[in-house]
Amino acid sequence: MKNLRFRYEMQLQFDAPVKDHHFTLKCMPKSNERQTIRNMTELVHPSHSISRAEDSFGNLCIYGYTDEPHTLFEVVVEGEAVTGRAAWETAEDDCHLGRYRYATVYTKPGDKLKEYYQQHLAGSGTGTDLERSIALMHDLYRDFSYVQGVTTVNTTAEEALAGGRGVCQDYAHIMIALCRMAGIPARYVVGMLIGEGQSHAWVEIYDDGRWYGLDPTNDLIVDDQHIRISVGRDCYDCRINQGSFRGIPVCQTQTIRVFVEEMEEIKW
Amino acid sequence: MYEQDLYEHADVINELLARYGVKFGIYKNNVFKEQLFPFDAIPRIIPGDEFAELEKGLKQRVTALNLFLKDIYGKKQIVRDKVVPEEFVYASSGYLTECEGVTPVKDIYSHISGIDLVQAKNGEWYVLEDNLRVPSGASYPMIARKLCRRSSPDTFRNVRLEDNRNYAELLRRTMDHVNVGGHTVILTPGRYNAAYFEHSYLAECTGAHLVNGSELIVENDKLYYLDSNGNKERVGAVYRRISDEYLDPMTFNPESVIGISHIFDVYRKGNVALLNAPGNGIADDKGIYYFVPKMVEYYLNEEPILHNAPTYLPFYENDMKYVLEHFDQLVLKDVAEAGGYGVVFGSSMTKEQKESFIALLKAEPRRFIAQEVIDFKDLDIMDEGKRVPRKADLRAFVLMADEPLVWKSGLTRFSRNPESFIVNSSQGGGFKDTWVLSR
Repeated sequence: MKNLRFRYEMQLQFDAPVKDHHFTLKCMPKSNERQTIRNMTELVHPSHSISRAEDSFGNLCIYGYTDEPHTLFEVVVEGEAVTGRAAWETAEDDCHLGRYRYATVYTKPGDKLKEYYQQHLAGSGTGTDLERSIALMHDLYRDFSYVQGVTTVNTTAEEALAGGRGVCQDYAHIMIALCRMAGIPARYVVGMLIGEGQSHAWVEIYDDGRWYGLDPTNDLIVDDQHIRISVGRDCYDCRINQGSFRGIPVCQTQTIRVFVEEMEEIKW
Repeated sequence: MYEQDLYEHADVINELLARYGVKFGIYKNNVFKEQLFPFDAIPRIIPGDEFAELEKGLKQRVTALNLFLKDIYGKKQIVRDKVVPEEFVYASSGYLTECEGVTPVKDIYSHISGIDLVQAKNGEWYVLEDNLRVPSGASYPMIARKLCRRSSPDTFRNVRLEDNRNYAELLRRTMDHVNVGGHTVILTPGRYNAAYFEHSYLAECTGAHLVNGSELIVENDKLYYLDSNGNKERVGAVYRRISDEYLDPMTFNPESVIGISHIFDVYRKGNVALLNAPGNGIADDKGIYYFVPKMVEYYLNEEPILHNAPTYLPFYENDMKYVLEHFDQLVLKDVAEAGGYGVVFGSSMTKEQKESFIALLKAEPRRFIAQEVIDFKDLDIMDEGKRVPRKADLRAFVLMADEPLVWKSGLTRFSRNPESFIVNSSQGGGFKDTWVLSR
């Protein structure tokens, strides 16, 4: 178990004023079996009305609207988390499992994924789904290189695997695609990792009523270094910021900064 | 005879329909073209007793489809009990994961359903398709009847038939039943939509406001209509004539410019009714169609009154075998397509086409259904002064208010091409009024 303090910052910079800005944000972690979230505060600026809801995956959303013209839109979420409270999460009612079994736009297998599947998973029929997934994670970590800037947010698992390089989103999509091909329900996770940097993405796989976290980018079984923000079928379900506005900005720049550090003592 | 009287006025009525804007807009090669929707004056006539039987079957079918939608976006009992295979749900483009766990007002999903039927030569009716998303077409027989009554008053004095001008009342009752407080609006994508005439006509007849996306706004989890003075008025029900995909750029297609940001969130919280409910596409998926009679048995514990056209799912091994053996006598449909597209007749394929189609069928069996070609009972139309037989179908409308309501009329569409079985208006067909005789 770890006691962590987190701070999630997102800034959207427009080069000309926008107004009638509608937004939906999914950047707040929620308590579950593995993590307890406390003292969380959110700041959204500018905003005129704010509402809260959970989406169909149970992820926390804040959404709202501002009509005030602005060139900077800012979100800060801060709080504390106790992580690693359990090694898995008990799955909700299994009627919700089906949606994690089928390919999506990002995880649809093509020739590369099929070939990789044949080489690495097809013969590994023995062992539990968790063991097979962990072995796959090791293989993928070895065969795929972490390189920024070669893939985009729109790169599919098939494209990323063909290129052999990418970032956490690509690792996660490839692993999800392969697990689903092997009949193992798998889902995409967005969250924060201890240290300083960007938001992170990893995978949860289902085995016998439990969801286990696997982080193929770091070849890690998720324990107490990760804070989960959201889950979905792929990155599309977990998009952190969705917005629409009026105005004529030529470009918008999104900056995300995440800080997660261990607290010295347990306060609660 | 009354038919003489009716078709003597057919040209005048077609001119009036054109003036009212009864047109069909279609995109062909990325060019928007408006076509008239030709009206044929000879009505389809259904005896009262025969329609009463259809009515029972339609109510039963739509009731089961509503229960299916509630189940699919909830507990999925029908999947657990292996009546419907899981992959037919999740692989369907009509299934929207965003709707999981969202309960519409009064558990009604399909407020307005358009059930497409054909009648075989032996008189038997078959359901060809269920349309539970945004079925259009009721306005055409409504206005045609109105104009015919005006041009041929004697005919309507002498023939005892059900008045179909009550569609607006049925629709109003359906909208009011789920309205959570506030105005009722009809949301249109605008005048370039194929069914814009219908949107405006239904708004006029029901007294609902006709609005486009820019006139609605979400604030503090409620939906408001902005009137021309900038005042905000609460909206309690939206009969939306735009597809799920474009409804809310925050939840669905982010590129949508005709939708309303956050309307789905308001809906999720129960603060507005959407007619029809988002996510209904799963129930009118051509693959799911196969299972509708089984849904009637499963949810209602009743024998289905209406029959499907005999359908095979190549997904099942036995059906695949049958399809391959009887390929030339079947019609094959791509489940992802609509509007008469993606429909091919085994008999009309060349050897090469057939081979490549079978290869595709074997690679993606879940993507296709195969049906026996029904020997349609043709209906006569007037073509340059001569009566000629043409293929026709019937879209029956079922509205779900405090109880299921069947409109005693319907849209009869026909194919103008004598060789064609495809009657969709997007494929250049015409329409007739549908007369249900009083019992």
